[in-house]
Amino acid sequence: MKEFVNKNRYMTMLLGLLAVILVLFTITKGSLLWTGGTWKGIVMQFPEYGVITLGIMFCFVSGHIDMSFVALGDFASIIAVRYMAAHTPENGTNGQIMGVILVGLLIAVLIGALGGVINGVLIAYLNIPPVMATIAMQLVWLGLSTALTQGYAVNGVPALYTEIGHSNVFGFIPFPLLVFIIVFIICAFLLKFTTYGEKLYMLGSNIKAAKFSGINTKAMLIGTFVFADVVATIGCMLMVSSNNSAKADYGTSYVMQVILILVLAGVLPDGGLGKITNVVLAIVTVQIISSCINMFKDLNIYYANMIWGGLLIVVLILGTKLNGEGLIRKKKKA
Amino acid sequence: MSEYLLEMKGICKSFAGVRALDHVNFKVRPGKVMCLAGENGCGKSTLVKIISGVYTRDEGEVIFEGQPVTKITPAEATRMGIQVIYQDLSIFPNLTVMENLAINSEITAGVKFVNRKRWEETAKEALSKIGYNIDLYAKMGELSVADKQLVAICRALLFNAKLIIMDEPTTALTKKEVDALFTTVRQLRDSGIAIMFISHKTEEIFEISDDVCIMRNGKNVYSGLTSELTPDQFTYYMTGRELTNDRFEPKNISREPVLKVDQLTLPGNYENVTFSLRKGEILGITGLLGSGRTELALSLFGLNNPKSGTITLNGSQVKITSPMKAQKLKIGYVPEDRLTEGLCLQQPIADNITLASLKRLSNALGILKHQDILDDAQIWKEKFSIATDDVRKFASTLSGGNQQKIVLSKWLSNDLDVLILNGPTVGVDVGAKQDIHALVHELANEGLAVIIISDDLSEVVTNCNRVIVMKEGRIVGEMDGDQVTEDNILEIIR
Repeated sequence: MKEFVNKNRYMTMLLGLLAVILVLFTITKGSLLWTGGTWKGIVMQFPEYGVITLGIMFCFVSGHIDMSFVALGDFASIIAVRYMAAHTPENGTNGQIMGVILVGLLIAVLIGALGGVINGVLIAYLNIPPVMATIAMQLVWLGLSTALTQGYAVNGVPALYTEIGHSNVFGFIPFPLLVFIIVFIICAFLLKFTTYGEKLYMLGSNIKAAKFSGINTKAMLIGTFVFADVVATIGCMLMVSSNNSAKADYGTSYVMQVILILVLAGVLPDGGLGKITNVVLAIVTVQIISSCINMFKDLNIYYANMIWGGLLIVVLILGTKLNGEGLIRKKKKA
Repeated sequence: MSEYLLEMKGICKSFAGVRALDHVNFKVRPGKVMCLAGENGCGKSTLVKIISGVYTRDEGEVIFEGQPVTKITPAEATRMGIQVIYQDLSIFPNLTVMENLAINSEITAGVKFVNRKRWEETAKEALSKIGYNIDLYAKMGELSVADKQLVAICRALLFNAKLIIMDEPTTALTKKEVDALFTTVRQLRDSGIAIMFISHKTEEIFEISDDVCIMRNGKNVYSGLTSELTPDQFTYYMTGRELTNDRFEPKNISREPVLKVDQLTLPGNYENVTFSLRKGEILGITGLLGSGRTELALSLFGLNNPKSGTITLNGSQVKITSPMKAQKLKIGYVPEDRLTEGLCLQQPIADNITLASLKRLSNALGILKHQDILDDAQIWKEKFSIATDDVRKFASTLSGGNQQKIVLSKWLSNDLDVLILNGPTVGVDVGAKQDIHALVHELANEGLAVIIISDDLSEVVTNCNRVIVMKEGRIVGEMDGDQVTEDNILEIIR
């Protein structure tokens, strides 16, 4: 037990947090919390930003940060939805419509990849600090989307697309959850079992040493941003199916939420740290907190941001203790 | 008044149950230089931190100027006249020399407003104490390590220091700078200040110190006059084993050179560098800091592209444009600064060792063979006697010497033709140094071509069968066999 706690400090903290929250809300809103509907909602909602988080985790492990992913994903989905709306034949067969949807998805993924290349080049080749570079790109994508749409939602998503998004695979797995599971398997495999993942953690701990060990750090960084932004774009395409439209400012709150989840899971932007299983646990925890907050109908929804901000600060304080010298030093003195 | 400025008796200190200091005794005489020697991790720094008040002792007695001292805090230590000059020097790199000198006394005095004139006076007074001349308005960060050190010494003197503790001050200095530092140390000693000099370099200790205290595993194993000790005894006390100082004898030199460098030039770095290297050789490249030796090495590893000239490897001309290319051409490079360039400290030892050979340790699809990585690391752990019980522990848990062994293993586990070592034993203790040298000799005799870049002349002389001396970017001398002596090299460098 003690060994487990020492080896998995973040997991222990997350499980503890989860337990506290469940107890707290069981006492206050137990009758609402323990219903099938609530848990179905939870399972339906977290894959959207869960997928995004898994992608952005790669940036964090490499020791970099990305602020542009939601704006980029929104731009990609606007273009994709416009394409789908314009090319879906009326009274077309499901096969024809499916073809259009696939081309639309391909367009979105390509735009996501382009955004990743731009981020990677700005950071790896032009040495612009990642926060600055990606905030600037966030503004660029947001500006483009707003100019294209005048700020209105883009409608005309094929009915089939929304239908698939709300379907249950094998009758019981919600489609978004299936996407999340597939993305999780791919990400976990890359991080744990490939040379790419191994190099990514090493590069994140000391990029200079990685370079001196013959690793092509620039190519690695560009590849990582491309992967992260493509995965984030896929998350935004899930958002399209649940909103039945695309818009320049969908999911803007996800930027901070994704950062919160990653930090909560011990994937700090300093790089080289963090386990993907903890990220999944953190995603679920945050979704449960968010669903529970929604149960308090009289609580002004705008307080939610304040709660997230406060939680981020608490987590950061705990995080420095868990990783840094805080805890260790205390131990030494004892 | 007592004969001693500072006496410490039976000092003990434990961290989490581990004894860092075990009944250590030592004495410092005023107006003398006392050397505290020992390998990395023997408790030297802990002892210094107890004297300076950073740590509190568990047991033992401290007597300063004949008065027993019960509790030392950092402020108390400063008031008593104890000043420590740490390895990182605790300077503000973006402030000027003047600001660096004056800031402490300004803060202590509690002054709220800036008075440039007063700052300048304080700074001048500090510099005058050792008769040192430097531009007061130069940015601290732009000075050489030696200059920074002298400024730090001046700053310490402002506090009427009676005891100055220098923590491995010579690590980053060239021979010439060390001489200059020693002149200052002697000057301070003659003015009645006691100097406690922490080092693990045998020659330096014999050159500068009057008394010596040797520590091993948290105990002091010898303390007394330096003059009563021979260098061999000294090494024995430090490491607890007899060391042999074997000079490298090449046994297996190939006829054809493996590496030929012809008229290599990168203006501002080095010019018209021509040399060749055969298998089985250990070639030394030495010269002062700024002589172009590191820049040349980086060019051979693809990190500093030359402007003209050619590099020939195994008979064919090559362009080394990146470390990846260098690795493909079977060139390895152990960098100068292992902490920033050599290691991922917060990652396991095993992953650090295998970082440059992941291709060999994965299948065609890039999927890792985790067990092979651990096995590979285990082999190096044993071959190099890296002091750890588990290769899955972080690299940061090791001492400097063991960390350097990791960086070396990283390259040696590759199939290499040429290995370039830049300052392979900087900050490495005597025992680990010996291990590293012995393995490099063995590898050279197995057919590896090695280049050692170093300004530690005794290292160059014992390990290299041929030496190139660089000065201001040019090769100014070359010698081999019996001609390779410290005196011969010094003659050319100066």
